[in-house]
Formats: sequence, structure tokens, C-alpha cells
Amino acid sequence: MEATCLPRIYVSASAKASSGLASCASTSNTGNSSWRRFSCLRNSRIGVMESLQMSQNFEFNNWRHTKMSKKSVACVQVLRAKLNDTERKTHDDDDEYPWPQKFGTEDLEGSPLPFLSRFKPLPNKPKTVTLPFEIPLLEIEKNINKIRETAKATGMDFSEQVNELQRKYDEMRKELYGQLSPVQRLSVARHPHRPTFLEHILNITDKWLELHGDRAGCDDPAIVTGIGTIDGMSFMFIGHQKGRNTKENIYRNFAMPGPEGYRKALRMMRHAEHHGFPILTFVDTPGAYAGLHAEEHGQGEAIAKNLREMFGLRVPIITTVIGEGGSGGALGIGCCDKMLMLENSVYFVASPEACAAILWRTADAAPKATEAMKITAHELVELDVVDEVVKEPLGGAHGDPYSASQNLKEAIMRHMKDLLKLDPDSLLKHRKAKFRKIGAVQEGVKLDPRFKRKMKPRDAHLDGEQPPQMT
Amino acid sequence: MLHIKFSKQNKSVCEECGNHLSMDSMERIKPSIDPNTWIPLDEDTNSKDVLSFCDEESYENRLIRSQEKTGLPEAVQTGIGYSNGTLIAPGVMDFQFMGGSMGSAVGEKITRLIEYATQKLLPLVLVCASGGARMQEGTVSLMQMAKISSALHYYQVQKKLLYISILTYPTTGGVTASFGMLGDIIIAESKAYIAFASKRVIEETLGQKVPDGFQLAEALFENGLLDLIVPRILIKGVLSEISDLYSSVPYRKN
Repeated sequence: MEATCLPRIYVSASAKASSGLASCASTSNTGNSSWRRFSCLRNSRIGVMESLQMSQNFEFNNWRHTKMSKKSVACVQVLRAKLNDTERKTHDDDDEYPWPQKFGTEDLEGSPLPFLSRFKPLPNKPKTVTLPFEIPLLEIEKNINKIRETAKATGMDFSEQVNELQRKYDEMRKELYGQLSPVQRLSVARHPHRPTFLEHILNITDKWLELHGDRAGCDDPAIVTGIGTIDGMSFMFIGHQKGRNTKENIYRNFAMPGPEGYRKALRMMRHAEHHGFPILTFVDTPGAYAGLHAEEHGQGEAIAKNLREMFGLRVPIITTVIGEGGSGGALGIGCCDKMLMLENSVYFVASPEACAAILWRTADAAPKATEAMKITAHELVELDVVDEVVKEPLGGAHGDPYSASQNLKEAIMRHMKDLLKLDPDSLLKHRKAKFRKIGAVQEGVKLDPRFKRKMKPRDAHLDGEQPPQMT
Repeated sequence: MLHIKFSKQNKSVCEECGNHLSMDSMERIKPSIDPNTWIPLDEDTNSKDVLSFCDEESYENRLIRSQEKTGLPEAVQTGIGYSNGTLIAPGVMDFQFMGGSMGSAVGEKITRLIEYATQKLLPLVLVCASGGARMQEGTVSLMQMAKISSALHYYQVQKKLLYISILTYPTTGGVTASFGMLGDIIIAESKAYIAFASKRVIEETLGQKVPDGFQLAEALFENGLLDLIVPRILIKGVLSEISDLYSSVPYRKN
């Protein structure tokens, strides 16, 4: 395995035998070191997360659509061998500290940054979730598996049928995912296995260092901030982090930040401006946290301050909506020079459920609300709110996270190259103009006086003063 | 029981308990602005149905119905006028028009007011009364928060001009999370309901019981989120005193 300066995932030896991914036996001769470094496979066509997941029996769909280079195959074989090893040492502090109790000499080679990242692969492979519109695909997949098993059991050759069904599966998948309705896109945006902010980061950055705290008493886990490099260029990354399972979601508060999260984001944005980091923000939140604690500590004020300050930051800002963009909670880190959205992500002013409850007076009208509010990426591009839609691989980002991250990286770098050519004053003007033009009003037509009867009419008789003109 | 005429004479404040009832924009502007000095801005600007939205009734029809019923084209009145001899740029929101919801027209009118005040170097006063962003305009109405905040950034941070926001009953949602809480001085009326997430949202989504008086102006004052709570009858005087205090600064390097 190569030891290059790539994001490395440290695989702990403490996980029990049943938990596949993160358990890796220590067979090193360095004695106390119970950790094994596992390099990211830069030159392969699969990313960090995928390579680790593929060490288990990965899903039929994803296995088919990824290719592994010889190096990655070798790495995975080594890891698989370790996973089958039954002698494991426990490490009591595994959940708290991602670094080993004692460092061996090999641990000190290369960059120490990965030791500081507490974001590790999940110990248990998450259960597959099928969305309602994917059920026909699931049935074909079951049939294919049945035929394969029969072929195995009887030894007869069913390859023709399998190929036929496979072809049908591919066609249906392409058709389904090529024309998703807004309701279906919303369900994909909220998919429990949709790649989270940190998963994207680890797939697109060469180096990553998470920074914490608002320096005022709190470190909100719902907003993650840090600095990293893409293609050798350093950026400040700020984003909402959802959990990958229930336990993480509770820790991350379902990516609903409180005022402390926004103050942490503002501190990091000011830090970025001070040092010259362009800012990349990633939005993935159902909304800002609406709890008693948040209200007491000034949730509205924290968001408002962020909105105002973001328009004065003299560094380029690119915002990408990678999942759900929930109203003010999303806008709190979303005032940008360029707004990008992943194909299946949504950005709404009020969740369709809330909108249905208020306007239609029944939560059952949520699908109607989703269609009416025009919350998907393509619709927002037409409304001139979003600058570009980043394509997701077929099957949604959760099907092929690495490709989704690479598409995202390519789009971000392309826009960043253009923005880096502008000087700070032009950048601020451009950002202001981007938002200034959003809005549709009717004017130039004198309204019926009945509709203005409660307005205070002009009564000023200032000599020589013309009616107010905007220059 | 309050007789309307006597209530209006007392600026819609209950004499017994001091509760400030909601007041429409005309009633706020009339006593606050010196006679024969008011110039309204953007009187004919009103909303367009940008999403072709239709719930139980189409958005266009809802607009026309509200306009007929309230006698206002939109949920905010903006203009310039003298108040106790100082030229100010007030914008007054009105809860009666579609719950004071902030759509493109409200965003545009307020942004133009701020831009005008920036050009003419006038102090800005925005009276907020809103139920939040206008859902019928979707994400476009959400972006109005950013639009107004960007105009305020230029006004407050670069030009260093004075902006006073007055929060009245009720101020919730998008307005609290944008210009409502960005005032250099934030004044609230007594017992005004000021919140980001309303009581119903907190109780329904999180099941947390909201104590009485939780999101009233007095509670926010205790938590350090407001500068002043001013009774309605004193607002005009307080505003002119504040203007005087800010204009008498001896050390102003712009």
C-alpha cells in the first residue's frame, strides 16, 4: 500500500468481531500499537468510503458499477484477511479518541492530520433502504438473485435469462432516475444513506483538518467547519452534518444547528477572510433548530448576523446544497457568489409538510405542496436562484458517493477558477447583484385606488423637490 | 371590553393592562410623521405570482382579495418624512395583509427604501410585523431575506448609518432572522410576540412545552436580545432623542 499524503482512515482494532469495517486486527510486531494505517486509494476509481464498504459483501448494484484497480483489489484483500482474523485486541477508549494510546514508528510516518479526524467509517454496514418508487427495481433484483441461486444449486446455465433481466433492470433504472418527480427527488434528498458533508469532504480533499468551537461556550455538532486542500489549494469548508445512523443523528441533532452553530460558522468565515481562504459551504439541513434553548439564545439574531456579514466577506464563497436546504437554517451559511445544487437536492422556504398543514390545512397535501412550491434544483435554476445543477450518478448520490463527490469537485473548482480572477470589490458587488435581482414584482401600472385607500398619501409640499428618484 | 374609538385614541393600547394591540400601518405612520412632510415610495409595487401557485385558492386571487379587504397593495408601506424635525426613512409593515408575510414585493420595497436612505444618508426605521416568509412565493421569498441583509450591510457596515428596528406584535420567522434583529438599536413594544420558530412549531415538532410568556418582548429583554422596550405613546419622542444622540457624536471618521 502506498503511504502518500492522502486522507487516511484509521481503522480501530477495538471493534468486535461482528462489526466488519472498522475492525482490523493488530498483527504488527510493534507490540502495543493496536492500529493499522489504511491508505486512501488515490489512483483507483473508488474512494475511501467505498473501498472500505466493498470489503464486505457490497450491494449488487454498486458492485456492478464500480471498477477496481489492481492496487485497490490488493488493499481490499489485505483488509478482508484482517477482518477474518478472530484474534482482536480491545481498545477501551476507541469511541473517544481516534488516536492510539501509544504511537508506533510507522504511525508517525506521513501526515498526522488523519489522527485528528473523529469521523470514521461506520462499524456496522447500514441496512438497505428502498424508496417507494424503487420497488419495481427491487423485484427484478430479487428475481435475478433467485435465478443465480438456482443456477448455483442445479449447475444449469441460466446466463441468458440473467442477462435479459439485467438489461431490463438497467433500462428501468435509467428511465426511473432520468425522470424523477419533485416528490421523488425530495425522498432522495432525505435518503438516510445520502452522502453527508464529511463524506464528500473526505472524497474531494487531499488534506482535511476540522476546527471547532465558537469561542463562546459551545461547539455545535450540527455544523462542521475546517480547512482542507483541493488540488493543492486551501479552502475553508463549512457545512451541516447529518448523521449516518440514528445514534449519529442524535449527536448531530439531525443537522439542525442552534445559534451557537451559526456563530461558529461566522467565526470561521471571518477567520477565512482574514487569512485568505475562499469559503465553500455545504447545505444539508431540514432547518434551524426550533427549540427553547435556541430561542433563548437568539436563533433569529444569529442567522440575521450571518446573512449580513456574509455580504461583506472579501473572499469567494460557493454554496452547494447537497441534501435538503431548509429555509433560514440553510440561508444562514448560504449567501454566496455561486449557488450550486446536486441534482436531487431541494431548497425550500418551509418544509412541504409545514406548508401543507398551513395552506391546505392537512398534512396529507404534502405531495401537492412539494409540486407547487418548486423546490427542486432544475426548477430553481429556471427561477434564477441557483447557478448550476451538479449531475448525480444514476441511482442518486447514495448509490455511488465517490462519483457524486467528483462531479461536485469538478463543478466547484470550475466556478472557483472564475471567482478567483475577481478582485474583492468586484466580488462583493457581484454577490450583492446576484441576490438583488431575485424577486418578481409588478409595477409601472397605477393600481386601483381602492387597493391603496389605507396607504398614507403624499402630502409633502417641499418646494423644488421632485418625487424620489433612485439614481 | 374596549370601545374602538377610545382604543384608537389611546393608540390601541389597553388602558387597564397596558397590552399593546396590533395596529395597522396607516395608524402608525400618521401620528409619527410631521404633517405635510410624507412622500411615499413605490406605491404601485405589488406581488406577482412567480410560481403560479395554487393551493385552495390561486395566489393571484388571494392577493386581489387581500388588497380589496385591507386597502393596501402590499404588506409594507415605505416612504420618507420628517419626524420632530428630522428627516427619516420609515418602513412600516402591516400584519393585516396576508399575515404580514414577506414576499418579493415587500423585499423589493424595503431594499429600495434602504438604498434610498443610503444615497440620501437618512436614518432608517423599520417597524416589523410579520408571520414570516410568504410560502406562495417559495424560495424566491426566502432570498428576500438575503437581499435585504445585503442592502443593510452596505448601509450599516460600509456607510455606518443608523438603523433602528421596532419589533411589534407579532414578529416571527424570516423577518426575525433577517432585518428584524439587525438594528443598531432594537426596540420592542411591550408584550410583543417575537420569535424565530413560533410556539406551535416548537410544540408540534419537538413536543417541548413552551412556558407562558416565553417569546414575549420582556423575556427576550431578560435574555439580552433587545435594547429597549418602549411603550407606544413614547416611540416618536424616543426615536427623535436617539437620532439626536447619534448625530451629536464628536468623533466621526468615515
